[in-house]
Amino acid sequence: MFELLLDGINSVFTFKIILLIVAGVFLGLVFGSIPGLTATMAIAICLPITYGMDSVAGMSLLMGLYIGGVSGGLIPAILLKLPGTPSSIATTFDGYPMAQKGEAGKAFTYAITASFFGGLISIIALMLIAPPLGRVALQFGPFEFFAIVVFSLTLISSLSGDSIIKGILAAALGIVFGMVGSAPIDAFPRFTFGFDSLDAGFDLLPVLIGLFAVSEILITAEQKVKNNKKKKMNKIQYRVKLKEFLSQKWNFLRSTLMGLGIGILPGIGGGTANIIAYATAKNVSKTPEEFGKGHPGGVVASESSNNAAIGGALVPLISLGIPGDTVTAMLLGGLVLHGLQPGPMLIQNHGDVVYGIFAALIIANVLMALFLFLGMRVFVKLLSIPQQILLPIIFILCVVGAFGVNNRIFDVGSLIFFGIIGYFMIKGKVPLTPLVLGFILGPILETNLRRGLMLSEGSFVPFLTEPIAAVFLLLTVFSIGLKLFMNYRKKVSG
Amino acid sequence: MKNRFLLVMLTVLFTVLVACSNEGAESKKDGDSSDYPNKPIEVVVPVGAGGDTDLNTRITAKYLEKELGDSIVITNIEGSGGSTGIKEVLSKKPDGYTALAYHNAMLVNNIYGLADYTAEDFKYAGIGILDQSNTFLVSEKSEYKDLDSLIAYAKENPGKVKVATEVGAMTHLQILEFQQKTGVEFNIVDAGGASEKITALLGGRVDIVPTSLGLVKDYVESGEMIPLGVIAEDRLEGAPDVPTFKEQGVDMAIDKVFYWAFHPDTPDDVIEVFSEALEKVAENEDFIEEIQKNMLTSQFYSSEETKEKLNEITEHDKEVYDNQ
Repeated sequence: MFELLLDGINSVFTFKIILLIVAGVFLGLVFGSIPGLTATMAIAICLPITYGMDSVAGMSLLMGLYIGGVSGGLIPAILLKLPGTPSSIATTFDGYPMAQKGEAGKAFTYAITASFFGGLISIIALMLIAPPLGRVALQFGPFEFFAIVVFSLTLISSLSGDSIIKGILAAALGIVFGMVGSAPIDAFPRFTFGFDSLDAGFDLLPVLIGLFAVSEILITAEQKVKNNKKKKMNKIQYRVKLKEFLSQKWNFLRSTLMGLGIGILPGIGGGTANIIAYATAKNVSKTPEEFGKGHPGGVVASESSNNAAIGGALVPLISLGIPGDTVTAMLLGGLVLHGLQPGPMLIQNHGDVVYGIFAALIIANVLMALFLFLGMRVFVKLLSIPQQILLPIIFILCVVGAFGVNNRIFDVGSLIFFGIIGYFMIKGKVPLTPLVLGFILGPILETNLRRGLMLSEGSFVPFLTEPIAAVFLLLTVFSIGLKLFMNYRKKVSG
Repeated sequence: MKNRFLLVMLTVLFTVLVACSNEGAESKKDGDSSDYPNKPIEVVVPVGAGGDTDLNTRITAKYLEKELGDSIVITNIEGSGGSTGIKEVLSKKPDGYTALAYHNAMLVNNIYGLADYTAEDFKYAGIGILDQSNTFLVSEKSEYKDLDSLIAYAKENPGKVKVATEVGAMTHLQILEFQQKTGVEFNIVDAGGASEKITALLGGRVDIVPTSLGLVKDYVESGEMIPLGVIAEDRLEGAPDVPTFKEQGVDMAIDKVFYWAFHPDTPDDVIEVFSEALEKVAENEDFIEEIQKNMLTSQFYSSEETKEKLNEITEHDKEVYDNQ
């Protein structure tokens, strides 16, 4: 195993392949850092280029893009409160307040370190225990997915800010938006009001970028651009004491494992992992009231989980040939075009390529951290670009990104639509994250409920008796009960 | 600092320019059909990247570019069983620079009442690839290893054998036809797309997965999954040990055809150019070898033959659907 890895490292340590990984990570970081452009898009654009290369070289480029694309999102998340990718939504919650307090440098250090180690641990897990982990993922069918999603939805209470009612309203709105378009299973069009364009529903990317980026741009535009009084940039602190890091070790470990686990489950993906890890970190923390005001723990939770989800998502792809999200679906295509069929025989038949991929992942992970550390002093300068110049450019890039999802102008329309919704939600102090959770999880919930009922011929019993599903449903009841109890105690003592 | 800023701005400008250049090129001039193609051709694949439709289109496109002498840009426009992408092609200018690459599923949408276009609403450059490796797959732990034992078991236990499909997909019609021809009754459950169905089979949640042999050959090789037969006229060259359904007494044969279609108002001479290129690709030895690895057959159908073939498939599918 160790020898195989050495062989793999040998095979990628050629000038050409290293150059490809460098280019991949760099381009990935650029795509990741621009709101609207994502890792998925970077890979879609570069996939055809890889057809002409040999398989190790091609996959090395794609791995670089993947790691860079997921990591780049932290830059605008911390500096501008704009998530560069869906994977860095939760990074904005505490990263941006830290930057506002003049701790942008520290936030970067936390985020990059968490990304690096989160990614590393998940890659090691991928190398060592992919086959058994993949088998665990197989145990998750409709009943289990349904229970997990129900449990995840209870996290809304921790993401709701001041008012749980508003949080639940936002989540319900998200579920409704998620229902627009062809229904799962029978493809019957719902809530389309006769518009053909709505048949496919709203795409996740325009919804996210609209809610989080466009709304933020609108808010800033409204506050009459205050001629960026040059903040004192000279004094930015980058160093984080080892002791401060170590105080996050349990948070880091938990978030990494959660990212890995969520990544492995096909269909949920990195965009949700960071939100769930963040909410859990806040729930478990002794000082939950500090979250959202610039707590390093929030940054660590978000950034370690989203990078850990990379290794997780590759587990079912490499060991079973099952893609969990759009990125891994494209990687699957890339492998098959090179004559490699991911599946149980891949490591046996093409061990050289698989270990080449592992080596490329490790190298890309190191390069990602290196680039970000070298670059962070430059990124901070972004803040000195006057906002009336920066924000319109970002807005244009959002539009380009939304159009790029499906090459449809409709998606640009929905980007602006959700931007306006986001604007009014911020004005009304309605939290945005529950809406996103509802939008992502609602369709998964419905699909698995209906599939489960088909499997059980209409009986609800298996949802309660399948062991994994039962555990998650019990956890749900327990966590709601705990919340109610704590609220009650607060009221009595207050 | 100034330089750096300039660099950033240039990068941004470049990105925007690249993103816009496609649009610009399209509106510059209306394609003159005599020198077709004189700019890149956009091919819409109405399903996501990474599946067999996407892969087959990309492989064929690689060879087509050489024959046509211009590049082919593949865009995946997903949604509602392919109809989002299909409608997108119908909404574009009929100049031959937007093509649709898809398979039988387009016809199914209409039969299920989910879309109003039919095979008659397009002009075709032809078919390049046939997938004749449709199969019913079971796990190695399954109690039945051939159709006879499956039918016997299913007759004893009506509605107990769980068969995975996506309602409205080709495989749904295959299951319906199998039920009609053998008189058994399955429990048809939705399990999602090709890879999700395999997950369900590996996880032991379903008993049978109808899919293409080419997509699962690794699992068959490793012995974890067993094909009950191929739904084709003859045994496959790539899998000579797997008997056909017909040999086992079930009269079914299904061709999944991968065709290239255009807007119905596209000039005939433009389609002729594309069609000739496709024919050359289908006869190219390298191409044949490349797709054979995935258990696919290369066979060229001309414009007229394609339309006939698709109408034939539609009629057959309709009959199955109406009889249920």
